[in-house]
Amino acid sequence: MLLQEPVQAAIWDALNHYSYGDAIFLAERLYAEVSNNDALHLLATCYYRGGRPTQAYMLLQKKSCPTPQCKFLMARCCLDTKKYAEAERMLAGSILTKPKSYDEIEAEFGAMACHVFSLLGQLYSKTDRVQKACECYKKSLKLNPLLWKSYEALCQLGVKVDPNQVFSMPAVMAAPPPVPIVIPIVQSQPVPQAQPPPPPQGHTPGTDDVAVTNTIDTIPQTITTATTTTPGAVETNTTPRTICSDFTPENSTHDGKGADLWAPIRPTKFVKQEIPPEGPKPIKVLFPDGYLSPSFGVMLVESPSGLDPNPSALPFISPNPTPIMPEDTVLDAKAPSKKVVTRRKQSAKPPVFSLSGNSNTRDVSSQQQCGNPPIRRSSRLFGNSSSVKENNKTQGKSRFTSPKGVGRKSKSRSSKSQQELNELNKSDPSAGIKSSGHPEQLSSSQIVHMQQQSLGGLLKLLMGVGKAYSALAQYDCRKAVQLFEELPEHQYNTAWVLAQIGRAYFERGDFHKAASVFAEVHRLEPYQLLGMDRYSTSLWHLQREVELSALAHDLTQLDKSCPQTWIATGNCFSLQKEHDVAIKFFRRAIQVDPDYAYAYTLLAHEYVFIEELDKALACFRNGLRVDSRHYNAWYGVGMIYYKQEKFSLAEVHFRRALSINPQSSALICHVGVAQHAQKKTEQALSTLNRAIVNEPRNSLCKFHKASILLACDRHKEALEELEELKQIIPTESLVYFLMGKVHKKLGNTHLALMNFSWAMDLDPKGVNNQIKEAIDKRYATEEDDTLARLTDTMPETSPELGEEGHEGSSQSLSPEDIDPDLQAIESDESL
Amino acid sequence: MATKLSGNQDIDIFKDEKDGKLREVGNQAVWSLSSCKPGFGVDQLRDESHDTYWQSDGPQPHLVNIQFHRKTTIHDVCIYADYKSDESYTPNRISVRVGNHANDLTEVEQLELTEPSGWVCVTLRDSSDRPIRTFMLQLAVLSNHQNGRDTHIRRIKVRSPDQSSDVGAGRLPMFTSRELQQQAYVR
Repeated sequence: MLLQEPVQAAIWDALNHYSYGDAIFLAERLYAEVSNNDALHLLATCYYRGGRPTQAYMLLQKKSCPTPQCKFLMARCCLDTKKYAEAERMLAGSILTKPKSYDEIEAEFGAMACHVFSLLGQLYSKTDRVQKACECYKKSLKLNPLLWKSYEALCQLGVKVDPNQVFSMPAVMAAPPPVPIVIPIVQSQPVPQAQPPPPPQGHTPGTDDVAVTNTIDTIPQTITTATTTTPGAVETNTTPRTICSDFTPENSTHDGKGADLWAPIRPTKFVKQEIPPEGPKPIKVLFPDGYLSPSFGVMLVESPSGLDPNPSALPFISPNPTPIMPEDTVLDAKAPSKKVVTRRKQSAKPPVFSLSGNSNTRDVSSQQQCGNPPIRRSSRLFGNSSSVKENNKTQGKSRFTSPKGVGRKSKSRSSKSQQELNELNKSDPSAGIKSSGHPEQLSSSQIVHMQQQSLGGLLKLLMGVGKAYSALAQYDCRKAVQLFEELPEHQYNTAWVLAQIGRAYFERGDFHKAASVFAEVHRLEPYQLLGMDRYSTSLWHLQREVELSALAHDLTQLDKSCPQTWIATGNCFSLQKEHDVAIKFFRRAIQVDPDYAYAYTLLAHEYVFIEELDKALACFRNGLRVDSRHYNAWYGVGMIYYKQEKFSLAEVHFRRALSINPQSSALICHVGVAQHAQKKTEQALSTLNRAIVNEPRNSLCKFHKASILLACDRHKEALEELEELKQIIPTESLVYFLMGKVHKKLGNTHLALMNFSWAMDLDPKGVNNQIKEAIDKRYATEEDDTLARLTDTMPETSPELGEEGHEGSSQSLSPEDIDPDLQAIESDESL
Repeated sequence: MATKLSGNQDIDIFKDEKDGKLREVGNQAVWSLSSCKPGFGVDQLRDESHDTYWQSDGPQPHLVNIQFHRKTTIHDVCIYADYKSDESYTPNRISVRVGNHANDLTEVEQLELTEPSGWVCVTLRDSSDRPIRTFMLQLAVLSNHQNGRDTHIRRIKVRSPDQSSDVGAGRLPMFTSRELQQQAYVR
């Protein structure tokens, strides 16, 4: 045992400091020396973290994964190398071996079951077993509601999850205080690890931990299965770890090796800063950050729900920030990760804060000085919210909507925190723990309180984000935007949130707003690739060539291995009508990431442009294979069938797309058009009417409705629609063309010709040759004297156009353009 | 069939393609030649370079056969020839024939080139003045400048009207205003 510890400590240290070569070498030597399971797992972990999943996989395969940790790591390697069947077999058994039930899995993997379920969910969704995937994701969320990706995947699969349920605090302050607690503890650990006697060091904080963890243990734990673990100091410490995936393997395997356990843990968000190697300090460091944030107002003492506002506490709040400032700064500097917590301020619960102030004043504030912190916090919450930069705008609102009182407080204290917050905001809102950094001994109950608070705050944030994201996944875009806007300002101004908002605008068809929001995202975080594909498509729609090429250029310089880069480039060339080049780039996007559905869709659209409908169809179907809720691909298939005149198939596909995205007017229109093509005219009209009722100014639906009415010879109604449409979009030549046709049918030659000429004015390039043909036909059916009359009237209409005050284009073009055209037509006629 | 005279042409033929009105459809066809010198065949004829060319190697008339998988609407055929570099290899009289297959061709156009130095485009129209629709297109080089035996052609492009007026109900309206374009097209 002793033989291993320093070596292991060294390996973890190397891993924590990202020098994977060192870690791998040492781990190999260790494994050669002492071939036990721990060493095996450590070696495999080094390979995996060093970016060599295949090597890890082969190693584990050779030794056939004795422990659950090894199994889990091997399953991860299999997922990365696309060996889905094997991964599944490892984790859940298969038909050939004994399939395990969820309870068995939970029992086997213990603390890391939540991650196992998340991985299983991914496997099932990749192998098209959506039902099981949903179950797995739900289980993983039940075990650990902080796993945002599971929630996101559920939404993507189309499941309507209730964020309130998912992100609720486990009854009784149980919940995941361990996480925050752990981190502080952990952080304390790594420091000692450098020192020769790790165990003693480990125990020093351990004693604190014990107290804390014991308290935690007493709390029913819903988040971690850690409850099942024995309440040993180490183990309890480990349990919180389980929440942090990194920690679990080490924890479980290193019983009693406190220092070692802690050392390897890489606090992702909870970056361990230079923590003084003093036992109690880390905890305090940790706590000040997020845990103290009143946003997580779970009052251990007061009520189980914890989040209930308690107005009575308000009076307790008194501003007293000054003394805390320096300390906070110090702590904040130490724990940048804590910003997350600050973000989670739950302004909505001033009473909560106050509550915490009340009951936990001592506890919470213990971080700093005993009496002050709570007061300070409260003051920040209420008094100084304006001081917090990001909160200025939505001060009132954010205070009461975002539960990040504490965080805000600490933020205001340190200027850095703001930045940190922004950075943290960018990543998933995890329970950032803002350590106020006052290294004071906290009683276990205080610690628990703080943890509860921070956790609660985080959950509140996740709930808000979850609601908004779920609305977006159901394509309820207006609501999604609203819900996102309800987030606290500092969270709102992060790339992730803004990208989702941009996406919401994009799906609604509001490309101007989408482009501006995405531009903001790009400005905020130029390295962010998240919404850049939709951004490039918005620019494509708006035909902003310069911006689009600038974006493509930036992205290619940034990261050539992301599909978004190549999508933006492809869009850029597609806008220039160089479809072959665009195809080349979209294929590259697919090559870079074969599981990115949007790349397939865009490639297919390019094929449609060059009229290779079979290839386009194949691409759309590929996109559907990757993501069956990709409504663009359903629409695309419907479009192709429509072009091939297979109208019933087209309608089926349009309907499917519509069922996924019920708000899109374009889809409704296409359903209507497909119905009309199948001669189901009444249905078509009713569909379009429904769309128009939803969005009265929707020009596309009105246009199609008018054309269908024309085809049914309901001229008056068609004319009405077209008149309305003219008001909405005066510059569309096809509107005038249709009106001309209606008038022609009604026999109003004069009006018909007038409208045709306007149509031609608006369409100088003659993209729609039909107009010219229609006028030709017009002339052909006319008699000679009428023809003469027409030629006389045409020049007259030109000044009329000017008088009518129509679009400037028509005015400027009228006399010169019409006459040559007319003359040309006449000359053709004469031939 | 009218014989057209083509002088020196230095026009930019790609403008329409950029505008999106025309599209090269040579990729959708199978190309074959009546004869060629090794290393100077279809690939050199169809590449983007003006420096590589097709050199025939047999009796006149030299034929370029372009066969489509489906009946294709052809707007025009463009030939790049350069008298200064090819001199007696430069084609002089070219006949354009269309039909369903090799034994079913009829001449639609005959053009006479006079010391060309660049692109020569000939639009193909049928009797009712619409772009022709055909399965097969054949360019026959009937004679060269200075009565040369073999011919050099540097590039050939076959272009079709883009999103053409495909008759039938499977046609969606092409909006001219941006708003409607954006609304109508789900990308």
